Amino acid sequence: MMSRWTSDQWRVAGSLTVAVGLHVLGTVLIPGYSSEFSIRAMLVLASLLAIASIGQTLVVIIGGIDLSIPFLIGFANVVTAQLYGQGMNFALVCLVVVALACLVGAVNGLISSSLKLHPLIVTLGIGTIVQGTVLLWTGGFPSGSAPPALSEFVSIGGSAGVLPVPWLVPCFVVLAALIVVVLARTPYGRRVFALGSNPRAAPLALINPIAMWTITFAVSAGFAAVTGILLLGFTGSAYGEVGQPYLFQTIAAVVIGGTALVGGRGSYVGTVAGALVLTEINTLLIGLGLQPSVVQAVLGAVIVLLVSFYGRDPHVRTSI
Amino acid sequence: MSAVVRSDRKGGDFGWARAAWQQAGFGPVLLVLLLAVNIAVNPARFAPGAWGTLIGLAAPLIGAALASTPAILGGRGGIDISVGPLMGFINALIVLVLVQRLGIETPWIIVPAAVLIGAAVGAGNGVLATVLRIQPIVATLGTYLILIGITLTILPAPTGTVPAWLRALGGPLSILPLTAVFLAWIAIRRLPYYDHLMAVGSDDRAAYTAGIPVTLVRFLSYVITGAFAGVAALMMTALIGSADPSIGPTYTLMAISAVALGGVSLAGGRGGLLGAAIGAIDIFLLQSALTYFNLSTFVLQIAYGVVLVLAIVLTALHERLLGRAKETA
Repeated sequence: MMSRWTSDQWRVAGSLTVAVGLHVLGTVLIPGYSSEFSIRAMLVLASLLAIASIGQTLVVIIGGIDLSIPFLIGFANVVTAQLYGQGMNFALVCLVVVALACLVGAVNGLISSSLKLHPLIVTLGIGTIVQGTVLLWTGGFPSGSAPPALSEFVSIGGSAGVLPVPWLVPCFVVLAALIVVVLARTPYGRRVFALGSNPRAAPLALINPIAMWTITFAVSAGFAAVTGILLLGFTGSAYGEVGQPYLFQTIAAVVIGGTALVGGRGSYVGTVAGALVLTEINTLLIGLGLQPSVVQAVLGAVIVLLVSFYGRDPHVRTSI
Repeated sequence: MSAVVRSDRKGGDFGWARAAWQQAGFGPVLLVLLLAVNIAVNPARFAPGAWGTLIGLAAPLIGAALASTPAILGGRGGIDISVGPLMGFINALIVLVLVQRLGIETPWIIVPAAVLIGAAVGAGNGVLATVLRIQPIVATLGTYLILIGITLTILPAPTGTVPAWLRALGGPLSILPLTAVFLAWIAIRRLPYYDHLMAVGSDDRAAYTAGIPVTLVRFLSYVITGAFAGVAALMMTALIGSADPSIGPTYTLMAISAVALGGVSLAGGRGGLLGAAIGAIDIFLLQSALTYFNLSTFVLQIAYGVVLVLAIVLTALHERLLGRAKETA
């Protein structure tokens, strides 16, 4: 049965096609690109980026932007290692860290929406405070380590039962499915889209914008913290700056996935596709032997190129 | 809006002070406060004889904030996050290519070159953001990554020296480039273009129906941003006296914070270069005071975040209060 595709679905299909295309290109150009190890590594990296981008996707759909994600990733990374190193129960540590992050995120959303301040500047300011506090607490030299179970959970060489990938990947697939269902099938998900597409009409439909922004930014911060904890397992030791690459990568993943920064339009499947595209490009360019600086430049060009194909804004004359 | 008009019409003794308050919110209050603290704790550094050096130290951040403003004034998400990397890129080109490789040391070539490279990259951003209509933050993120990548490729590590006149711009003559930017802006303010920019920034649909070429006006705002970033790059080069790939990009987020602190609305159409400059000076004075008290950079970072959030929250509350007073009146 051929059903009609919406433009959103076309965008998601487009970015998935680009990801597959890049993979084929890599396989042709670079020996070992499709080797088991390389695919495992890409899946793990893409999963981490996609988890960090969950919050950015939701926040962008309601018409905001969250620049505090990298700072909260660093916060979770350092604090988890520190508390676990001091002998605290790991599950408790995770709970505390994620709860604290959600609190910070809630403050982000509350300030931005209740005072109608641009979230870009609010999240930047709050993020800076969080980072400074963490640095002050650890004196700039974080200590502690990751529990072995966590390292096993995200290790590239790990396996999940019969699957040749670490548990992170199947768990992420379940999580992604959950997010998609929440966005499509729950009152919260529909309110996110309603508020994003028309911030003035939504309150008339009894949607409380302040509550929505507070919850959504809290969720965003929570998933940033989860990413920080997972990254601790990935690298083995704490590092306050570990989240910095995620500042722009989450935005890039969201935008490549076809979510519009003006709000009201987008999907999490698109963001996952965007995360895959970014991971493929990175692996491909590094595999071609390019310098990291050149990789960065090409990445910038590719983002602009992809978005100019399917992420363009309408002209102002169409809005009259 | 009507409050601004009213203060203009009255034009009383403190009309300008009220205008500054309207435009920049808590920025000027913070400025007076921080200046007093700084002068009290460290008079030597703020003595008139040291002003040249002092302004030279603050100049790159002020320049970056001034440069970030025009694109933001254009509204509908207009922003240029590539200002910092652009400064680093121009810094590398001037020192590495012009001075070292070609041996050109005269200001008559270096200054126009910096401004033109800036304007050219700004025009590139303008095409992406207004003609191709890619969301400005994404378009300039692309440029951000490209510029950092190119800069690091041609200049992997800090190197080089600058001619004496350029070093003087970081010391005794540091006020010159800032004055040049302000004079340029004053000239722009006298053109119809300025009114068009503010109109487009406040309500682009109304501006479009009134026959303003919205795309062209926004495009030019990116070119101006780029040209100003060229001057900011000169000030940064004068301050560090060499080519350094790692310094430029750090200015982007600080400059945007300064702009917001100075009461420029990130939604466009409200604010000006004076406010942005005040915001940047606030950040500089804050850093300077905290460094003097010998507090760690960590405390500095916390204080910087707290002041940023508090200042914009207070400004918003104040505006809300003003709005309510107007409604009841």
